[in-house]
Amino acid sequence: MGVDFLIGLFLATLITALFTSRLYRLIMWYSLNSLMLGILALLIGQELGDTAMLITGVATILIKAIGIPYLLKYLSQKFHFVRQIQPEVKVHYAIILIPAILVFTFYLAEPITHMIHGNANYVAVSISSLFLSLLLMMEHKNVAPKIIGFLSMENALFLLGITATDGMPMLVELGIFFDLLMAIVVINLLFHKEEVKS
Amino acid sequence: MIAYLLTIVLLLLIAPLLPSFIKALKMRLLFKKPASIWQGYRNFAKLMHKETIVSEEASAITRVAPFLVLSPLLVILFFLPPVVHGAYYVSFVDAFTITGLIALSTFFLMLLGLDSASAFGGMGSSREAFIAALVEPAMVLTIFSVSMMAGDLGVGQAGVNLAAHFPKEHMASFLFAAISFFILLIAENGRIPVDNPETHLELTMVHEAMILDITGIYLAIIETASSVKFVIFASLFASLFLPFGLDYSAPVAIGVFMLKLFAIAAAVALIEVNTAKLRLFKVPNLLGIAIVFAFLSLITFYVLGA
Amino acid sequence: MMPTLLVLPALIMFAVSFVKNDKAKFWLPASSFLILLPIVKLFLLPKPYALIGNYLVADRLDTYVLLVSSIVGIGVTLALLTLDKHVKVSQKAYRRFYRFFAIFWIGLTLSILSNHMGLYWIGLELATLSTVYMIKTNHTPAAHKEAWNYMIVGAIAISLVLFGIILMYASAKPILGEEAMRFDLLLAHADKIPSPFLFEMGFAIATLGMFVKMGFFPMNLWLANIERASFYPVAALFSGILESAVIIGFFRFSQIAEKVNYAHLFGFVFVYTLLTIFIVSFLIFRAKDFMRLFSLSGVEHMALIALFWVSGGTFAALLHFGAHAFLKPALFLSTGVLESNGKYRIAGALRGYHGKKGQLFWVLVSLFLLAIISLPPSPMFFSELYGFGAMIDTAKQSHHMLAMIGAVLLLLILLSVIFYRFVAVYQSMKYEGKTEEKKVYGSELAALMLFALCLIALLLPVSIDYLHTIGQG
Repeated sequence: MGVDFLIGLFLATLITALFTSRLYRLIMWYSLNSLMLGILALLIGQELGDTAMLITGVATILIKAIGIPYLLKYLSQKFHFVRQIQPEVKVHYAIILIPAILVFTFYLAEPITHMIHGNANYVAVSISSLFLSLLLMMEHKNVAPKIIGFLSMENALFLLGITATDGMPMLVELGIFFDLLMAIVVINLLFHKEEVKS
Repeated sequence: MIAYLLTIVLLLLIAPLLPSFIKALKMRLLFKKPASIWQGYRNFAKLMHKETIVSEEASAITRVAPFLVLSPLLVILFFLPPVVHGAYYVSFVDAFTITGLIALSTFFLMLLGLDSASAFGGMGSSREAFIAALVEPAMVLTIFSVSMMAGDLGVGQAGVNLAAHFPKEHMASFLFAAISFFILLIAENGRIPVDNPETHLELTMVHEAMILDITGIYLAIIETASSVKFVIFASLFASLFLPFGLDYSAPVAIGVFMLKLFAIAAAVALIEVNTAKLRLFKVPNLLGIAIVFAFLSLITFYVLGA
Repeated sequence: MMPTLLVLPALIMFAVSFVKNDKAKFWLPASSFLILLPIVKLFLLPKPYALIGNYLVADRLDTYVLLVSSIVGIGVTLALLTLDKHVKVSQKAYRRFYRFFAIFWIGLTLSILSNHMGLYWIGLELATLSTVYMIKTNHTPAAHKEAWNYMIVGAIAISLVLFGIILMYASAKPILGEEAMRFDLLLAHADKIPSPFLFEMGFAIATLGMFVKMGFFPMNLWLANIERASFYPVAALFSGILESAVIIGFFRFSQIAEKVNYAHLFGFVFVYTLLTIFIVSFLIFRAKDFMRLFSLSGVEHMALIALFWVSGGTFAALLHFGAHAFLKPALFLSTGVLESNGKYRIAGALRGYHGKKGQLFWVLVSLFLLAIISLPPSPMFFSELYGFGAMIDTAKQSHHMLAMIGAVLLLLILLSVIFYRFVAVYQSMKYEGKTEEKKVYGSELAALMLFALCLIALLLPVSIDYLHTIGQG
């Protein structure tokens, strides 16, 4: 029940992020999204008695829910990002598009739900959140929301990892975190060069 | 039967209290000297004594409409889910009837706005129509989805079923429906992100613009109607989405229910303090979110069963 | 020991990139040749040879791919020596380029050798992120924009790959447990996977990600624009090393998918590659500069390789892959000279060369140009013959013979469009336009010679035998 509730909140924060037109709000929704993911990992990890998943859950909360949003806010203040980010996809189209994506992915994942024991629905939710993050990346022209879209895509992958497979091997989890940090470094570098030039 | 009638009377009595409570709480949160929470009753009493003047341009509709605004809402009061276990309730009324009755009330309110032929009235009516058109699909979908989870299309029966058997296995879709319904509660009652009930600024008015021309007893009726509407939404939210506390003995159960209503009012007040009013053309964004969540709730329930 | 030797050249490069002495870079080509020693040793060792536990395993396929990509690495290191002669680049940016090249190389070596889906992905992601900076070395607004573009689209592609990997892992976890990440075990137990649908969906998503990364159907111009905006060695690295790592992932995944459901695999890849080639051939026809021309032709060849591979033409695919991996970086490296300081002129690009070096250069470039459109002595000619043969063979066993012949005919028509365009470009390069003085440097010539020698070596009976054994083993 708790897991169901959290997964609902996970999807809800992502969908709300799709309608947001302010950068800081978007960062806040991303942070909440990651927080839900971290708590979810902790819950499932506790259920399975999987220490590795507990560790990744804590790491998710620390890095994704607190660290990255804070860093993004810092970067946006340092490099003066555009904070008014109007989605390119108009709201009335989004109202039709988002349910269409959801229906499509839910039915796409339907055969899977018969195959996986336990948390079967979450595969569908994570696939749909993958597509929604793609939409988030597509509907914005500015760089900052695109980065957040990329990060929420990472969240969707993580959700799939913890629910569909009962946790990936520790090595892979660490690799993913390492790559995420590297991505942040590269993003920082890219912004840095931009500032030096102008 | 007694509990049933008692609840209705109590809801009617409490109706003017809730908006005043929200206002007082807001003022306190903004470090102002709060208005009395009995202000609603005082306004009502004052308006009852005031002379009633009707515009010369107005037709008979102005005289009839206020009653027609209030009466559908009063009818809905009888259809609400019970607040005490074992109390009498009407089980067969479904989402469409309730939405329809609310729409009927809104329709007469819009007519009232148009009737006096003032510029503000027309503008307010058109805005109200714009919002109502977006609210209704989401409202039907949401109540429908919750009814499906409860296993009965009747709203009253759904409330009873939910209290007896909380849908633990459908927590995700239940949550989506709750988010959607809360947005509707805000939008339909003209609370802040959609409409500001306190200003008389022409750019922002929706509800106030329609009733700008009327005074006296008619205004008292309209004000009562809008507070009854809030009570209806709040109690629907309380019995459908917070379905607990019915098993206690009747006085305690009613007390718990009242606490829930005040908690909802407090949540609305908190949102009002923390957000700015949306531009009118941004309102569809908010209601769009509500529609998406309502739909999401339905398909999550159907396809995933979660 | 072995793994250390394999990444040693990259590590040396990484270390040298911190040395402020401009002369230090001249040591790098020599040190990068060192990578050939462990690879030769790998060829002699019995396969599969475990490098690090079960994580990095050298079998016949990845040893070959590693050799090809390392030679490209050596060639690019050679050509990088004179990058500053052709384009404007500050010494600091130059050193940074080396640094990220080293990370890129390490990541892709990891990817190519990995026997573990997770490690494969980590290497690929590392390479993707380091490329972003390599693109950014060019200080123009276009390069900046394209670096972001690469960052975003590359991240999407790479996330899709990971998503697919997780699904495939989930599909096999009930029988293999944590070991379900291993390619060899997955291949061995492919027909016992309890939920084929899950596996196939994972495969489709991962393949989509890899295809997007190589510039297939929805993203055709994406790669071309990026390569246009960045310095030419980046394009050479893309076509030589990055695409080797991506295609080896595709090879491994499709080997497993073939056992799960061959018809689905074939249908998916067949439609996707045909669509890609169809669009790309017309884009090539409209290409106005070398970079886009070569980059789009790279997309076309990668599509052909994927198509040959799933049609069962393992040998054809590998030969085509090797030939393409040598030819394309050679062409990309020579564009530095051909475009002579950033002028995108095709007309007259092959004129104005003096001295022995110049003569040799233009002969080599013309040979490469003719080889890339598969004129007979080129290995591509043979690989395409074998590849189309394999496609027809596959169709013989099914009821789709006519459709297959139609598809092959369509492919031939599309390829002839490309052929025509390249011949026209060649003629324009040789016979039109003004003659401008162009200078060729020894290091570039050495790189081109290296690639030419490797191309010839690819046609030796020894190497053809080796490629045949990969297909059977």
